[in-house]
Amino acid sequence: MNTTTQLSDSALVSLYIAGNENAFEQLVNRHKNKVFTTILLIVKDSYTAEDLLQDTFIKAVHTMKSGRYNEEGKFSSWICRIAHNLAIDFFRKEKRSPIITLEDGNNVFNTLSFAEDSVESLQIKEDTHARLRELIQALPQTQREVLMMRHYADMSFQEIAEATGVSINTALGRMRYALINLRKKMQKSNIVYDKNLYSE
Amino acid sequence: MIKTSTQNELIQYVYDELAEDVCEQLEKSLMQDDELAECCSELLLIQHLLDGVVKAPTDRSVNNIINYSRSLSLQS
Repeated sequence: MNTTTQLSDSALVSLYIAGNENAFEQLVNRHKNKVFTTILLIVKDSYTAEDLLQDTFIKAVHTMKSGRYNEEGKFSSWICRIAHNLAIDFFRKEKRSPIITLEDGNNVFNTLSFAEDSVESLQIKEDTHARLRELIQALPQTQREVLMMRHYADMSFQEIAEATGVSINTALGRMRYALINLRKKMQKSNIVYDKNLYSE
Repeated sequence: MIKTSTQNELIQYVYDELAEDVCEQLEKSLMQDDELAECCSELLLIQHLLDGVVKAPTDRSVNNIINYSRSLSLQS
């Protein structure tokens, strides 16, 4: 039985720094999906995202093993900030906008699980994901940044405000506009977002 | 028309960041204000949709990370 599965992130970090590799494995498995998604939504390429995911955790490994990890704040926010910064650095260097493609050839947004996989629901899913991808990418940079930091990087609005150098009300306002913009554009595009279409 | 401050509280509410006392007040308002309740419902629906786009990396990448960390431990 793995005794680390119920521990907090903070406890796992302490164990890892003390030399427990199982604790690190637990941290990776706990946060890999959100870190990966955070990167993927910025770089828009699954192969690059896989590389940057590894770079992110390797950077975290070095920070923790060298004793430079600051225990203030959440591990999830910290690791997602590293990922976000690496992805933004990459994006700025590359200045490119490739199609989001996964190893299996599917688009990144073709991954929602639907309650029924009928031909009709699959078609709706494909259309919805393709359009949603465009809508998120079309958001103003400041709105997209807050959306990703809050929704995928699990940072609090206060943390986002500090990280982006704005007030918490500005961060909240940007998030509000991001969600409102998505909602309006989804309605305008007749995008179905009935929650009954999606399995829990 | 929902006040900007209330809309901001709604965002904090759906992301579970609202202080307890403000949260109670907002929940009372949600019971009485249909427009506010509808706005909250739409936010939760979009939140649900955004949740679905979370994607997992390949096992290969994850194993590379774990093995890298273990290799450093063996060296030290």
